[in-house]
Amino acid sequence: MSAARPSSITRRRFLRDTSLALAAASASPVLSAPFASRAMADTKTLTIVQWSHFVPAYDKWFDKFARDWGEKNHIEVSVDHIPVQDVAARAAAEASAGSGHDLFGWNGAGGAHLYRKFLIDVTSLVESVEKKYGKVSVIGRQIGYNQDDHTWSAFPDYYINFPAMYRKSLWDEIGMKPETWDDVRIGGAKLKQKGHPVGISLGHSNDPNTTWRGVLWSYGGAVQDEAGKHVVLDSKESVEAVKFAAALYKEAMTSDVLSWSDASNNQYIDSGVSSLIINPISAYRTAQQLNKKVADDIFVMEPPKGPVRRLMGGASEFYGIWKFGKNQDAAIEFLKYYADNWIEAFKASSGYNNPIFANIVPKPMPLLSDDPTSTPRDKLAALQTSDQWSAVPGYPGPATPATDEVYNDFIICDMMAKAATGAMTAEQSVKWAAQQCEAILTKWQHKA
Amino acid sequence: MVTIAEPGTKAASRFRYILDRRETLGAIFVAPAILYVLLLVGGPFLLAVYYSISAYTIYDPSWRFVGLVNFAQVIQNPVFLKTLGNTFLFTFGSQLLGLILGKFGAFLLMRPFAGRKIVRALIILPWAVPIALAAVAWEWMFDSLYSVINWSMIALGIIDRSDAPNWLGNPHLAMLCVIIVNAWRFFPFAIVIFLAGITSIPQDIIDAATVDGAGFWRRNYQIVLPLILPIVAVGLIFGIVFTFTDLSIVYLLTNGGPINATSVLAFQGFQVGIVSGDVSHGAAISLFMLPVLLVVVIIVLRFIRRREV
Repeated sequence: MSAARPSSITRRRFLRDTSLALAAASASPVLSAPFASRAMADTKTLTIVQWSHFVPAYDKWFDKFARDWGEKNHIEVSVDHIPVQDVAARAAAEASAGSGHDLFGWNGAGGAHLYRKFLIDVTSLVESVEKKYGKVSVIGRQIGYNQDDHTWSAFPDYYINFPAMYRKSLWDEIGMKPETWDDVRIGGAKLKQKGHPVGISLGHSNDPNTTWRGVLWSYGGAVQDEAGKHVVLDSKESVEAVKFAAALYKEAMTSDVLSWSDASNNQYIDSGVSSLIINPISAYRTAQQLNKKVADDIFVMEPPKGPVRRLMGGASEFYGIWKFGKNQDAAIEFLKYYADNWIEAFKASSGYNNPIFANIVPKPMPLLSDDPTSTPRDKLAALQTSDQWSAVPGYPGPATPATDEVYNDFIICDMMAKAATGAMTAEQSVKWAAQQCEAILTKWQHKA
Repeated sequence: MVTIAEPGTKAASRFRYILDRRETLGAIFVAPAILYVLLLVGGPFLLAVYYSISAYTIYDPSWRFVGLVNFAQVIQNPVFLKTLGNTFLFTFGSQLLGLILGKFGAFLLMRPFAGRKIVRALIILPWAVPIALAAVAWEWMFDSLYSVINWSMIALGIIDRSDAPNWLGNPHLAMLCVIIVNAWRFFPFAIVIFLAGITSIPQDIIDAATVDGAGFWRRNYQIVLPLILPIVAVGLIFGIVFTFTDLSIVYLLTNGGPINATSVLAFQGFQVGIVSGDVSHGAAISLFMLPVLLVVVIIVLRFIRRREV
């Protein structure tokens, strides 16, 4: 075969054609950029990212609400919902890249402080909402307020409270009500004998992180002081709290709690096994759908009181606006409108999202004061005052990157679990946890 | 096939001449791969090294040089030392189990039986199924309330409900669980490696050994295994590297619990560096994997070369 064929592919020709094709492909965005960017500039956009809410109806409401606002203001709004576990990684990626959504919805207390340098100052926004809808709660301040220069890095949106949910008929049988943590231990032990243990997770997840903090605070212990400068965990009060946790585990719970995820305690009470859990009302709402008889028997009350106070951990949500965001003004305007309609957000979340501003949902609160799906209808009434018995990690000080790392490392859960399982005494366990917290706080103070 | 060169300028013909040179063309073809490795592996690696010796956090993204302080602080933390030990146990435990399962799986799949092709396709499933999906299934199997394993054992009268194992709640069992899940994920790969190795052995060697009176075990350990060892070693390198740097199973199944019993380096590095925003310490934790992996790779590669010689 020696005849030349002009159409055959030679090495040279392959290289030449491929190079031309690649060059054309790379040049096309450059050539089209002026036209494309002009077209994009004509359409204003607002991009929002936030977690996929536990109440799917809330996400539906929010998407429509944002879209409607966009239509009124000729702004194209897009909302991305991501799994709660991905929020931290997404925020880190957007901050590192210097590009991303205009409005970022955080889930986790210390984020506003961690990303402070990347976020615009929203002090005037928070103050204007405060003027209209009343004082910001302790949680709101913990989340977004900067004590050093009296500014706000984030707009505090809501918090999720962790009330006690107990099976009324079972507690009535033993003639008790879980008013105090000691009641929970004593009554729980009796009910465990009857096959209905208390269900508070000692695993690595959000629920135990908030609940055991609540126990620690109720006994007078805390990770840090009010200024957030010193670790105060190694105290007599903390040891008492850990001793209580160990006793509660041995007397009123089963070893199952060591493996639990956030869904496990919900399943535990909804299946009719548990006599008491500490959880957001999602557990009760699920029971209403799955097991009406059990749901009617689940009563919701303030968290049990400790020897020092009644206080429980909460999960916080807030919005930050990136400095690199292209539509900061639109983001601020959206948040103002959102605050003005916050009561609708509250209803859409079935009372799951709790208000940060004192009068943004006037009392008696819809749903919580009179829930037509509950028997009795005022079953959720105790939740109306949850701002008085809720705090986020960092209490009595601010939520900071350091307190968030203590939270993310599950140190308080492990402090309780080590004593509960007998791996350490209560004193040793508190010392271990205090050393861990000290190392983290010192590290962050040094870095700051 | 011959093509007729078109007439062109002097410069163009020089360019063509360069393209005709084997080494030049080879370099051009290899360049994208090298560029890819340099940009997407080398670049991030160097960045991670620099992060680990700086004070870089999301709160304060400064590049202030701090030397080895981050490493010193990390080593002093007892939780890190536990995590380091867990990582070794998780990696080598799951590789060992995966190799054993892979070997038996390969032998089974070499035997002719009805539906072998379907079984061969199905056996790849653990490898192909997204780990997030698989982890949910495993979580249900190990669940403290609804474990199908416990339910079966209770139904068969093997255990009492009160004695049912707390798979993810007992520190030792929790580690066993993550090892089992990782071995389950790895063993299809091991089967492929073993099958490739075993089928490459000339049949006459096996026949000669059989004629000489070698039984199954002798053939297996004195002929088959030594012959396929180099290819198995390469598979093992992959397995160790991927497992040592993996956080997905621990993240999805246990979150490092109970009481850090299943926390591994990749998980801790992610929690500290990404979730908590302390990038420099996160990078330092992650870089502890590097010397270990380097030593493992060097040992295995030297072993392979020695066997080839």
